[in-house]
Amino acid sequence: MSKKLLFPLFLLTTIIMIYIFFIKSSQGDYEILYTYEPEERELAIEQESKKYKIAVVPKQHNIPYFRAVEKGAIDAAEELEMELIYQGPALADSDLQISTIQEIMDQNVDLIAVSAIDPNKLAPVLKEAQNKGIEVITWDSDVLSSSRSFFINMVNPETLGRHLMDMMALTMDDHGDFAIITGSASAANINEWLKWIKIQHEEYYPNMNLVEVVPTDDNPAKAYEIAIDLMKEYPDLKGVIGNSSVGPPAAAQAVMDLGKKGEVSVVGLSSPSEMKGYLNNGAAQVSTLWSPEKLGYLTVSLSKQLLEGEYPNDLQDVPNVGRIQVKGDTVIMGEPIDFTKENVDQYDF
Amino acid sequence: MISKLIAPFKNYRFTSKLMITYILLTVIPMAFLGYISYNQYTKSIEQQAGENYPKLLRQAKMNIDQQLSEIQKLNELLYSSSTIMSILRTEEYQNQSALLRDQFEMNTYLSRTFLSGIHSDILAVFVQSNDRLFHSTRVPLVEEVNSTNLQHISYNRAIPFYETELRFEGDIPYLMLEREIIDFDNRESLGTMYIVVDIRFVDRVIQDISEKADVWIMDHNQRFIYHTDQEKIGRIYDEIKRIPVFNGSFKTLSEEDNKVMSVSQSEKNDWTFVHSIQTKYLTEQTNLVRNVTIIFFIVFVLISAIISILLAWNVTKPIHQLKLLMKDVEKGNFNVDLSMNSKDEVGMLAKSFNSMVYRIKELIRINYQTGLRQKEAELYALQSQINPHFMYNTLETISMSVEEGETDSVVEMVALLGQMLRYSLSNKDEVVPITTEVSHIKDYLIIQKYRFEERLSFKVEEKIDISLYNTPKFILQPIVENAIKYTIERNELANVTIIIAKETFDAGEETIVFRIVDNGPGIPPDKLKYLETLLKDDPMTKKSSSFGLLNVHARIAIMFGDNYGITINSHENMGTEIEIRIPVLDRLKEEVVES
Repeated sequence: MSKKLLFPLFLLTTIIMIYIFFIKSSQGDYEILYTYEPEERELAIEQESKKYKIAVVPKQHNIPYFRAVEKGAIDAAEELEMELIYQGPALADSDLQISTIQEIMDQNVDLIAVSAIDPNKLAPVLKEAQNKGIEVITWDSDVLSSSRSFFINMVNPETLGRHLMDMMALTMDDHGDFAIITGSASAANINEWLKWIKIQHEEYYPNMNLVEVVPTDDNPAKAYEIAIDLMKEYPDLKGVIGNSSVGPPAAAQAVMDLGKKGEVSVVGLSSPSEMKGYLNNGAAQVSTLWSPEKLGYLTVSLSKQLLEGEYPNDLQDVPNVGRIQVKGDTVIMGEPIDFTKENVDQYDF
Repeated sequence: MISKLIAPFKNYRFTSKLMITYILLTVIPMAFLGYISYNQYTKSIEQQAGENYPKLLRQAKMNIDQQLSEIQKLNELLYSSSTIMSILRTEEYQNQSALLRDQFEMNTYLSRTFLSGIHSDILAVFVQSNDRLFHSTRVPLVEEVNSTNLQHISYNRAIPFYETELRFEGDIPYLMLEREIIDFDNRESLGTMYIVVDIRFVDRVIQDISEKADVWIMDHNQRFIYHTDQEKIGRIYDEIKRIPVFNGSFKTLSEEDNKVMSVSQSEKNDWTFVHSIQTKYLTEQTNLVRNVTIIFFIVFVLISAIISILLAWNVTKPIHQLKLLMKDVEKGNFNVDLSMNSKDEVGMLAKSFNSMVYRIKELIRINYQTGLRQKEAELYALQSQINPHFMYNTLETISMSVEEGETDSVVEMVALLGQMLRYSLSNKDEVVPITTEVSHIKDYLIIQKYRFEERLSFKVEEKIDISLYNTPKFILQPIVENAIKYTIERNELANVTIIIAKETFDAGEETIVFRIVDNGPGIPPDKLKYLETLLKDDPMTKKSSSFGLLNVHARIAIMFGDNYGITINSHENMGTEIEIRIPVLDRLKEEVVES
């Protein structure tokens, strides 16, 4: 290689190296190495813009329990921006309920949530709704599992049934005659509780005697008559369990009216607002229930969640409701609350 | 410009040039390669870190978010106690003692439930409900908590300490998590629960990635919510005005302290998680590689330098030797020998140099010595032409003849002497026709005959036409002088015969031969041998009695080469025959050439 060529070559190499060095340091302040997109969670928000229309159907419309449910449901629908139809039969009659559902089906709803009076009778109409593309869930009282997506149960029926029996026994000192005033004979939830009351009775309380189980069809007037009749028929009667919300107030009123305060104790499922007076004056001892408003709220919340394509999860924290449990296709809202003379003032439903 | 830069390089010694060239040729590519590969290696490590750290950071971010939301959910523990719920539901008190009892109950519960081990990072718990304030703290507050320094801000995010007015002793940085207490049964709000968490819980979450690195969390105003350097918490991050990526990583390109910064954004709290590590820590492992590379590089450079030096030396050593020898030769010393066995260009050069020096030496010798001898010969010839001894003898002879009155003889002798002197003086031509030379020797012999009278007889035999050929001047006289001198010394009668003939020399070459035969005492063998060696050797070295003879021989040899000259043929007491051999110098041809 000629010397004349070598030196310029050397110079050139040096210049290139310097150039590379300077190019590198003059590219700005940063050099981006890696980027990634954060998780996409905006999709759900977009869907929210669609306003769902749902229908919540109680067993009957005009008893305090279902009116409390309605209140919760309306709150939820407002907060979650949904259109809500809360419509039920005037009487707890399954035929009336069926026609109510049929009426609702024509109103172009996305979902129907039913508290079933008679699971068997309701099955065809719910199937029909499902075939129309309407989602069906049940709350408070279930139907056959094939006719709905899931069932929202307030409490575990076994827990509740055994607890009611325990409360009865506690007030009767574990022995004596007692009767059960139940709701409609066909309602699935009530029959389930009744089953567990009887089991608990057989297992633990041999000195107690169940004299009669009388249905009331959730009619307050009828319930009162039945209570009066029971106490007259069984003078040694020591206690009454009201197995549906109309039972305990009717029984307590009968105790008062017959002057049997202290003789006959009354426990059962009923709301604190209905029982407050009886608990305070000693006509009733313990009322057990859950928050029906919470039940209404939860029903609407889970309806929306289902419409958005998400099944309820076990231990899910539902806003304004708390944690729920999911067992199979049944949602359990929580634990039952006992209302007594001491705490009944804390509750406003 | 380049030529100016090259100029000094041009003047370097060849060895240096070669060495520089070799070293540059090996070092530059190697340095370049090494630099590039080290750079690439570093870059790929940075790239790897740039991909890994964001993932780890994101993991940490999710972990922190989850821990925070878990802590926030701790307020659900309140729901499990009916006593607590009952206290919370109470709106009015009949008397002060009932309120204080509830407060005691509540504070105890809070302390028992939240501050005893569930989560050791919880500093304090406050519950605000219906104008009541329940609290339990692990670390004392600087100022008692009240409704002015504890106010609801947001349920949706964790609130950094600098947005609140609560201060703990020791200025512990914290996060406040607020959550509404809801009475699910009555479906109404019961108040707010505040859980204060020591921000240092983050230390544990990020300990895997915080080694040698800075990790911090800052809000949308770039204010540090958390920093591995606790001093900085609460200050504003101002090193970089605008972070170029939200989720990912980048590298700063400043003069020094370059960092790989990974960023992850938490949507929930609008926080930015940053992990910043100086590249020098990342490339720590590469430093070993770099050092080893550098050591290898240095060793290699040394080896290649040594090799290049050896190579350059090997190439330039003979050249250097040549240079020194040339300098010697330049100074005039031709007795040099560059012995080199290699057959490469340098070897060939040395060989050429050797032969060139030899040739020069030879030429110098020949030119110098020939010139010198010629000058000496000419000087001698001049001397001999006007030999004072001869002049004296001749003038003596003339004088005697004048005394005896031999006028004719005197006239002839003076004329002859004049002719001889003219011949001697007409010195222009080196060669003359043989006729002229012969007539000159005849003049000489006639003059001598006048001197020695009957004692000398001579004869000139011309076997060729001597007017056709040339001969160098004064080749006969010294020989004839010697012949007469030695012969007259010993003999009464001296016979000198000059024969001029054309003879064929051994290689078939035609030569002209002058043969001077005398009847003298001959030359003794040892003397003859000595003379012969003198003739063969350098005939001009010594001045001796045979100087005339040697001078003639030398002149002829110088003019025509060693093949020509004098041959002596002599036996003691039998006379001497001296043979002068010259090449055939054809006068006609020479004239043609001259014209």
